[in-house]
Amino acid sequence: MKYSLLILSLLITVNAFAQKKVELKFITDGVCGMCEDRIEKTLIDLRGVWSAEWDLNTHETFVVYNTKKISEDKIHEALAEVGHDQACSCIDEKIIAMEESYSNINPCCRYRDPNVIEAHK
Amino acid sequence: MTIKSLKIFLIILLPNLLYSQSDTAIYKGLNLDAVEVKTDALGTAISLKDPKLKTIISRAELKKAACCNLSESFETNPSIDVSFTDAITGTKQIQLFGLAGKYAQIQTELTPLVRGLLANSGLSYIPGAWIHSIQLTKGIGSVSNGFESMTGQINVELLKPEDIIEDVVNDKSVKLRLNSYINQGGRVETNLIYGKQISKKWSLGFLGHASGRSLTVDNNKDGFADMPTGYQLNGMVRARYFGQNGWEGLHTIHVLEDKKTGGQISSDLPGSNPWQSNMGQNRFAVSSKNGWVNPQNPNQSIGIILHGYSQSMTGIMGSIEDLKNKKDLSALQIGGIGQLLFKQDWGKLSQTSTIGVFYDNYHIDFKTNNIQTNRPFTERNIGLSSEWTWRPNEFITLVTGGRFDWHSIILNSQNRVPFSPRIHARIAPNNKNVFRLVFGEGFRMALPITEEWGRLASNREIRGDQFGSNIVGGDQLSLEESTNAGISYTGNFILNYMPGSITANIHGTWFNEAVIHDYWTYHMRYIYPNDPSLNPTDFAMISGSSGVSSNYKLDKKTQIRLAYRYQNVVVRNKVHGVNPISILMPAAFVAKHRALINLSRDFISNWSLDLTLQYHGEQPVPSIHPLSPGLDGNIIDNAPAFRLLNFQIRKVTKKGDFYLGMENALNFQQLNPIDGAVNINGDRLRPSNSTFTENFDATRVWGPIFGRMIYFGLNFKLID
Repeated sequence: MKYSLLILSLLITVNAFAQKKVELKFITDGVCGMCEDRIEKTLIDLRGVWSAEWDLNTHETFVVYNTKKISEDKIHEALAEVGHDQACSCIDEKIIAMEESYSNINPCCRYRDPNVIEAHK
Repeated sequence: MTIKSLKIFLIILLPNLLYSQSDTAIYKGLNLDAVEVKTDALGTAISLKDPKLKTIISRAELKKAACCNLSESFETNPSIDVSFTDAITGTKQIQLFGLAGKYAQIQTELTPLVRGLLANSGLSYIPGAWIHSIQLTKGIGSVSNGFESMTGQINVELLKPEDIIEDVVNDKSVKLRLNSYINQGGRVETNLIYGKQISKKWSLGFLGHASGRSLTVDNNKDGFADMPTGYQLNGMVRARYFGQNGWEGLHTIHVLEDKKTGGQISSDLPGSNPWQSNMGQNRFAVSSKNGWVNPQNPNQSIGIILHGYSQSMTGIMGSIEDLKNKKDLSALQIGGIGQLLFKQDWGKLSQTSTIGVFYDNYHIDFKTNNIQTNRPFTERNIGLSSEWTWRPNEFITLVTGGRFDWHSIILNSQNRVPFSPRIHARIAPNNKNVFRLVFGEGFRMALPITEEWGRLASNREIRGDQFGSNIVGGDQLSLEESTNAGISYTGNFILNYMPGSITANIHGTWFNEAVIHDYWTYHMRYIYPNDPSLNPTDFAMISGSSGVSSNYKLDKKTQIRLAYRYQNVVVRNKVHGVNPISILMPAAFVAKHRALINLSRDFISNWSLDLTLQYHGEQPVPSIHPLSPGLDGNIIDNAPAFRLLNFQIRKVTKKGDFYLGMENALNFQQLNPIDGAVNINGDRLRPSNSTFTENFDATRVWGPIFGRMIYFGLNFKLID
């Protein structure tokens, strides 16, 4: 019994390693810990996303995902839907969140407002 | 940080985590242990910055345990063993390094609760719903907290008013939490937790607990109730003060009443007087903790702890049909503690000094046919401790400390002032790996009768050998003294983008003096302090323990914990005879091999599953029938190895969460836990029956008595 569980857990691990995973790095605009929570929670809740991190200082977003389950576009879309602007560091492409989604975020997280940015400094 | 993403997840599940960043020290400025607390979903976290091997068990982890109080909250923890409840007192005991929990200093917010008369069942007087977090230190603790830490330290932070209110800023927020639990064994439990902000500076918290068991269950048909029936009422009122000028305080009143009845079920034995056990404990305690941080110089801080208590214990075991083996106990303990702590930081160096006074007055009245004592005694101590922390850079931390204790009993009987040196070192070659070293000495005063009350439920004749011969503290107060040393490694790693950690440790504890319960003498049970005059250089008890444990996130929703531990404990037992000699023998009820697998997984719509499989290796236990021991005449029996599987399903909703679980799902049961209760034909025996009288022993419990058990519980939030 002990061994069977051990083997089972090993199998799960092996299975996890066998998945195709791709790293993705881009910039997401945000100002505070609440933004961090929102960004990371949004990403991690996506089916196919393995891990997600957002750096408050560099605004860099690091996502590991399974290409078979989710596309890159879907990841950007999901963030835009919760109101976060994004930019890819590689190419000059920006994803601007709809005004409607942006207005839904907490007033203290309004990263487009210079006063809010100042307040977080 | 991937840990962080989990944290968010958790915070959404349990919003209170956001506000309840646990602080080890009571005072923010006087953060004695400098622990960095992360509320992460791994539930248990070992800080890499702490010079001690300290595991922090958060509320998230506590929720995995089936139920209900502190002793049971270690069931998913690989460092602490939870022993099995004896059918008489119903109290679960814990072991650290294979040694009884009493050798670890167990405190609630740095004041003692599981101590003195409450050392036996005190762990069950801390309801799980009251606990904010637990800090578990393996290896001897800090000198600032007292002399009693011999194997480790367990400090329990209870919910403070601000944790209950959650939002201290919001002036009129009121919060009530309700927690209820019921299991198949008839145990019912309810906790009520309420907090209120009454002014800008003051807030109040109320913690209430009521639990009971009225159902008498006898699954193994031996005529004895598998669990005692009874009730526990427990309440705490806490007042928190945050003032200006750096002052803060926490004042607490604690009231407790506990009654338990166990033993033979009278309806099974018509016309006889059944063997029964009654036990009662009461406590009334007040404590006041005040901290001050110098507003001009935040590197200076002062802490004052005042604590007073009165606690009592009564116990009766036996039947009037067999007066020879009837035991009777009543005890009262009144005591107080005053402590003054001072801390100063100078950049790379900081110093903590403590002056403490404690006073304990015991009155213990114990009667059996062969031991009869009725002697009050008093324990007084003035302790002086000093601790230096040297942190030249982030890679090295060295904490050296020492304390002198002018302890009245040691001073009077041995004419010496014990000095307890302690060293903690931490070397971190980088920010992922840490090596720790610990060395230190500690001592405590044992109360062999009250501490081991459940272990006296036996007709083996109890002899107090050499009681009081080497210690003049009284028949029932004896010195235990030990040295503890250990080395450990903790490493954090990222594998497959997922965080994990691994901890390996090896610890040894050597007792110069110890009170020993002799399980290896036929027909008798001796309790004696190790006699240093017989073998002055020999140790009374030696424990060696080493283990490896690892936590890892398999994917974003699954965590696994694997642990294995090897431990070997030997005790010096006397071979009685014309020329008594003493030899080292294995400690009873200590399994050499222990392993644990814990798997938890989150599912959609806030469902989660937690599964724990424990492996208990073979353990030496006393043989049955003390008059005619086994066929081969062995005194030491080996209890077989066994496995326990517990699981729990939990659903979290906005209003609260509810859980359904099963303990001991593989339905493992120890057969015949009570020796002498039934005859060969399975008939239940009267206490006056000669088989019963000669053999009765309810202290051979090494496994679960109750089989599979289903439970259900809910945590509800009521806000007005």
